[in-house]
Amino acid sequence: MCETSCSFFRSGQTSRLRSRIKVVNIYETGIDGPVVCQQCKERFCMDCPVNAMSIGENGQIIISHTICIHCNKCMNSCPIGAIELYEDVYYVCDLCGGSPKCVENCSEEAITYIALESESVSLADFKKESKRKNVSEKQANFIMQSGKSLRKKWRKENA
Amino acid sequence: MLKYGYGGRILRVNLSAKSYKVEELQKSWIRDVIGGRAANSKRLYEEIDPKCDPLGPDNMLIFGIGPLTGTVLPASAYYTISAKSPLTHILGDSAAGGQFGAEMKISGFDQIIITGKSENLIYLDITNDNVQFVDAPHLKHKTIFDTTKFIREEKRDFAVQVACIGRAGENKVLYSSVVSSGNRKNGRTGMGAVMGSKNLKAIAIKGKGSVEYADPLGLLELVTKMKTKIYQHEEYDKRHQMGTTMLMNDLNSIGILPTNHFQQGVCDYIDEVSGEKLAEVYKVKNKSCFNCNVHCSRYYVTDKIEAEGPEYETLCSFSSKIGNDDLEFALEMNHYLNQNGLDSISAGEAISWLIECQEKGIIKPEEVGGYQIKWGEKDKIRELAEMIVTRDGIGDKLANGATNFSKSFSKEAQDLVMQVKGLDIICGDPRGIKAYGLTYAIASRGGDHLRAEPYFELTRKYKLARQRFGTEKAADRLAEDGKAALVTWSEKIALLTDSLTMCKNIGLCMDILDFEEAAKLLTMATGINYTASYLEKILGKAIETDYKLNLKFGLSTDQDTLPDRFTKEPLTRGESKGSVVNIEKMVKEYRDLHNRE
Repeated sequence: MCETSCSFFRSGQTSRLRSRIKVVNIYETGIDGPVVCQQCKERFCMDCPVNAMSIGENGQIIISHTICIHCNKCMNSCPIGAIELYEDVYYVCDLCGGSPKCVENCSEEAITYIALESESVSLADFKKESKRKNVSEKQANFIMQSGKSLRKKWRKENA
Repeated sequence: MLKYGYGGRILRVNLSAKSYKVEELQKSWIRDVIGGRAANSKRLYEEIDPKCDPLGPDNMLIFGIGPLTGTVLPASAYYTISAKSPLTHILGDSAAGGQFGAEMKISGFDQIIITGKSENLIYLDITNDNVQFVDAPHLKHKTIFDTTKFIREEKRDFAVQVACIGRAGENKVLYSSVVSSGNRKNGRTGMGAVMGSKNLKAIAIKGKGSVEYADPLGLLELVTKMKTKIYQHEEYDKRHQMGTTMLMNDLNSIGILPTNHFQQGVCDYIDEVSGEKLAEVYKVKNKSCFNCNVHCSRYYVTDKIEAEGPEYETLCSFSSKIGNDDLEFALEMNHYLNQNGLDSISAGEAISWLIECQEKGIIKPEEVGGYQIKWGEKDKIRELAEMIVTRDGIGDKLANGATNFSKSFSKEAQDLVMQVKGLDIICGDPRGIKAYGLTYAIASRGGDHLRAEPYFELTRKYKLARQRFGTEKAADRLAEDGKAALVTWSEKIALLTDSLTMCKNIGLCMDILDFEEAAKLLTMATGINYTASYLEKILGKAIETDYKLNLKFGLSTDQDTLPDRFTKEPLTRGESKGSVVNIEKMVKEYRDLHNRE
């Protein structure tokens, strides 16, 4: 629902590739979750060769599509695959201007939006693991790693 | 080209020639069937050689979706696989949710039609317009999880959706399934065997398009209302908590929970195997199909296994129906059947039928290779399932289905198979739900409820019953009056959900969808003008197409009936005590309504 809401509200269409939040299902582990920009401490993506990127007042990444030369550098440098190119546009979460549609439409309350007060998350560990991985592999790795503690909890409770 | 709602194209694949072509979907062709199951049936009606061997190259294996599949419509995940069934030799089809249908949509294909037969085991790799035939010796005998994982790793893409078969399909067990999204089964009528007979292990699909709508804002307003209606539904919490496993207690409480192979409708150890217990003790997480706001599926963990599910039919088939009071064993079997791609209803019927026949002394151990099995004998049930999957020993016979196997025994043994037209009946004793009984009897794929899912008879909405069907009795589950009218109406709504597509649990059981609403949805999504009365008319016509297709397949007209157990032996305990089904009366009324001979 987060994907369809995101895609629909921005384009009036439905497509995972038009969504700025992407659900990855790792079926054999029971883990599925959304990959979306974490507004990480490091901001790995910001090292743009033509300065097409900036950070907005909600901490969101803004890409200027007029300046952007489609070099893929931001996409390749994100450790979790939260930036993805589709039809000449890089899709990255911009928080819908402050009231994200994915949060509004998540009936499980699995996605929350908390205005940042404390320190941002670090994705340094994911960065180390992201070498030679493509966007999809980075997304899958992020969801797998994030699900590890959940899986441990399940086993502890039920086994 | 159909721009809105539909993918707009058809993919035809010939596995013998390893060739494919992409065709445009014509508005004039699709308009009177909408899409999904109805479109699959129309395709078979027009193109299949009815005399073809279901496991030969000429059988057509069709994957189909509808104009609303994979859209903003809630619970629009479903896709249907159709072919001539190797189990029943008539129309076979089976639907599943998950993510595969939505991926088909953004690939731009409304139907994928597969014919021919590959010489060696392969999988199809479909990325928009590009189809590759990939050799798959490394996937032989792999489970569903492993097949999915290997293909995704091979392609370095975890957004790829995979529909595949397990060992059961490869070994052409006649009731083997196709499985996608890890656990979502196109379970019934042996679509897995058809895929296996073509040496097709899997279809991997990745779309790169998007769905456009004729009136996106109008559609948004409508689906927002529908979502609210779903959230506010009285059964929402229960369905969210337990999914279809809520039926274990529901059906037991009205005395129709198949116990020891339909000998009883009440299970004494219900609390040990209920949906409530599953949710409390083993469930760890809800799981969802594409764009659903009920997300009724569940992930569970025991100390031995973890998996998704089970749905009610599997849970019942491997607990009360087979005399097993150990929930963990049923959960283990669910995982086993899913990963090997075996239909739990037909597998459960084959095994529990054999148990009853042996209990009654109708089939002696020496007639079945020395095999003797009793109610709830877990080790033997597990072993027998594996023998079916591998077609080993007696398993080779059981792999052809209880109906086919029973033909080598006495009439008594044959009568004990709970089937219609060769398809094993689902887990709901029709003696306490008469409209369901009628549905099993007339369903075009054989003994099954999904063709009509006349849930309405359980609602006790008497006033609405009078309004809709002319008699309050239509809402009385034990009555036979008004049931032909109910099933005739419900059959159209069921086909509507299968053709849009939308989940039947939500669209039909939760009474979310009607013809008016559907006409609006379709018009806004596709830009093709639909009205409620037009929809009713074409759905009625599509139901007759199924009927005529079955006549082409050689089905005789005297098979709209039920096993003697349901028409002659009254239930002896519980809330449906004393009841049998007067099937002839209902079938006659139904056939009159349909102007059938």
